[in-house]
Amino acid sequence: MSDQGHERLDDARAACRQFDLDLPAYLEGEDRPAVPAHARECVYCAVLLADLEQATFASHHLPIEEPPARVWANIRARLASEGVIREQVSGWRRWLQHQILQPASAPAGALACLTILSIFLLGPGDSGLKRASGWLSPGAAPAIATASVLGMDKDLLQTLRQMEESYQALEATLDPDLKAAYRQSLGTLDDCIRECLTHCQRQPTDALAHEYLLNAYRSKAQVLASALQFDRR
Amino acid sequence: MRPKQGHLSHNTTAGKKAAPETQLIARAQQGDEEAFAALHEAHKRRVYSLCLRMTGDTAEAEDLSQEAFLQLFRKISTFRGESAFTTWLHRLVVNVVLMHLRKKGLQKISLDEVDTSQEEPVKRDYGEDDRRLIGSIDRIILGRAIAALPPGYRAVFVLHDVEGFEHNEIAQIMDCSIGNSKSQLHKARMKLREHLRRDQRNPRREASHSSGSEDER
Repeated sequence: MSDQGHERLDDARAACRQFDLDLPAYLEGEDRPAVPAHARECVYCAVLLADLEQATFASHHLPIEEPPARVWANIRARLASEGVIREQVSGWRRWLQHQILQPASAPAGALACLTILSIFLLGPGDSGLKRASGWLSPGAAPAIATASVLGMDKDLLQTLRQMEESYQALEATLDPDLKAAYRQSLGTLDDCIRECLTHCQRQPTDALAHEYLLNAYRSKAQVLASALQFDRR
Repeated sequence: MRPKQGHLSHNTTAGKKAAPETQLIARAQQGDEEAFAALHEAHKRRVYSLCLRMTGDTAEAEDLSQEAFLQLFRKISTFRGESAFTTWLHRLVVNVVLMHLRKKGLQKISLDEVDTSQEEPVKRDYGEDDRRLIGSIDRIILGRAIAALPPGYRAVFVLHDVEGFEHNEIAQIMDCSIGNSKSQLHKARMKLREHLRRDQRNPRREASHSSGSEDER
């Protein structure tokens, strides 16, 4: 090759090297007019530019991939076991928390507890225990129906029913002494509820009797909640 | 970050998304399960796709996205909102993936440990080949070529060219300089082109090379 030929080749390679130096900035969107100008003159650099633009375009349009559902299931299980996720509050617990947090219910609750305690203490002999044995007798459902007719809070009654069912399901697994204690408390409360219901049916306008009834239901809900919570521990 | 088709990009929905996401984060910081689920739902595709592109393996991508979200949710109480949540999340994901690749005994991954000679042009034999890549690039071939990149290159390439992050965001995520990110990206693109051209010349050889050999990583 002549000296002139070598010179032209060297010039061309120098232009290609300059192209290489400018290419990253050009691909980043910077103004580098020498890059497309050189690509029009040099087939090798034109191919390089076209390839890179094509690959970049294709990469940017790669599809988004959907992870399998088990990924979240695993994450959730791990977070729950580590205690990172706060325990979800179920319907009746949410209701109970709401009731307990209501300031007005505090004195009424205390009043109800006193009433229940007095019934239990002043009752004849071991009647509390006897009544307790039948606390979830078939009579419980009609009692709730009667309460519903009397205009008691339907949510409260529904919640109580669900809690009673939950308690019945777990009662067999409780320690015998604990079971006896809960039965006794619940039996006493059921007696109180029945008496209040009878009184409310006889004297529907007796506001105090209605209040006692409502608080007896609330107290029962608290006892059931305590039993169900004990099981969770 | 450039919006990416199908992504829940914080650019495209910034106005609508910013407030709810802030609320979700606040709720998640209190341990609210629904907030965790909503944050996972919003980001799971990007996180999983990033893990998949970085590893080239669906099982590893599942494990890594799971690990990344677990770390995110464990640490979410420390998020104070100084940086964008997406940047924070992606930094965490990239760290999880790079740690995983390190544990696999692959070559050092830190960007600063890869060739950082930014002034030197990528080596090219001038006049070597004037054939273009033909037609559109098959996504499987492209995925394989990306997976065959050295991890440091791959991370920057995936974040920039696949996920649409800007160099300043990548610099934050990868804890490197913007110039370094740009330099690595260009080298990654050149390397990717090599793989694609090799694959086009000899698809079988490239497939076995990509899946069976780790010598380039």
